[in-house]
Amino acid sequence: MSEELKVAVDRRPNGAILYTKGYINNVGGEEIANRAYELMDQGAKTLLLILRETKIVNSIGISILIEIIEKMMEKEGAIAFCCLTPVILKTFHIMGLANYAKIFENEDAAVKELGLGN
Amino acid sequence: MTSTAERQMELTLPMVEDIEIAAARAAANLARELGMSSDKIDEMTHAIIEACINAREHSGCADNRIYLRFAGTADEDGSRIDVWVSDRGKGFDPNEARARRARPGEVHKRGRGLQLMEAHMDEVEISTRQGGGTTIHMAKVEKKNE
Repeated sequence: MSEELKVAVDRRPNGAILYTKGYINNVGGEEIANRAYELMDQGAKTLLLILRETKIVNSIGISILIEIIEKMMEKEGAIAFCCLTPVILKTFHIMGLANYAKIFENEDAAVKELGLGN
Repeated sequence: MTSTAERQMELTLPMVEDIEIAAARAAANLARELGMSSDKIDEMTHAIIEACINAREHSGCADNRIYLRFAGTADEDGSRIDVWVSDRGKGFDPNEARARRARPGEVHKRGRGLQLMEAHMDEVEISTRQGGGTTIHMAKVEKKNE
């Protein structure tokens, strides 16, 4: 069985918003990483990941998200997450992501605070 | 008179990519039948996913199978699901695994599966021995007045 993750990118002047749909496992994490690294190479300094349509993450997928955060921190940029389910939010806290990435409940508030408006 | 619902299920799954989702969905369906809330079900499914991934990635078993058993009960006080995730692999040392883990909230890229299971479930018990396989027994409990 396959649980393919889809990532849609909305490029903004100061960065990008990435919308994920599906399971963030090793393959899904790599898909997000590939898109994120492309955007970083293009100069994006702020990435907002909207996980509204992701209901399951596993520890391997999260380890890849941590690598993305580390890479963005090296570039003095920022990664943020939004619209997490309660269990994903809890998992992010256990895994330490919440210490290094901002987490928002509301997409509009996240876009405004991160300066990702059009 | 007390009304109690009971459900049991056993699954044997091949160790193939994403098979943990099948295990999680089966447990979630059983939990929904017993009236467990979606937040509790989500926590349980994430724990089952980590247990299955550990078995798939680290057991080194020859038969490439994960053996699952679910037992659920519900009554007017709430519901409880017990989950057993077993493999016939090489076993591991849980204390050594716990010693390797980072402190809560500290970034640590791998080896957090057991920690996530313990955080998401109400009870976690590991039976394992060198060369004798591993069974992780976990329980999720929901009281109606929580």
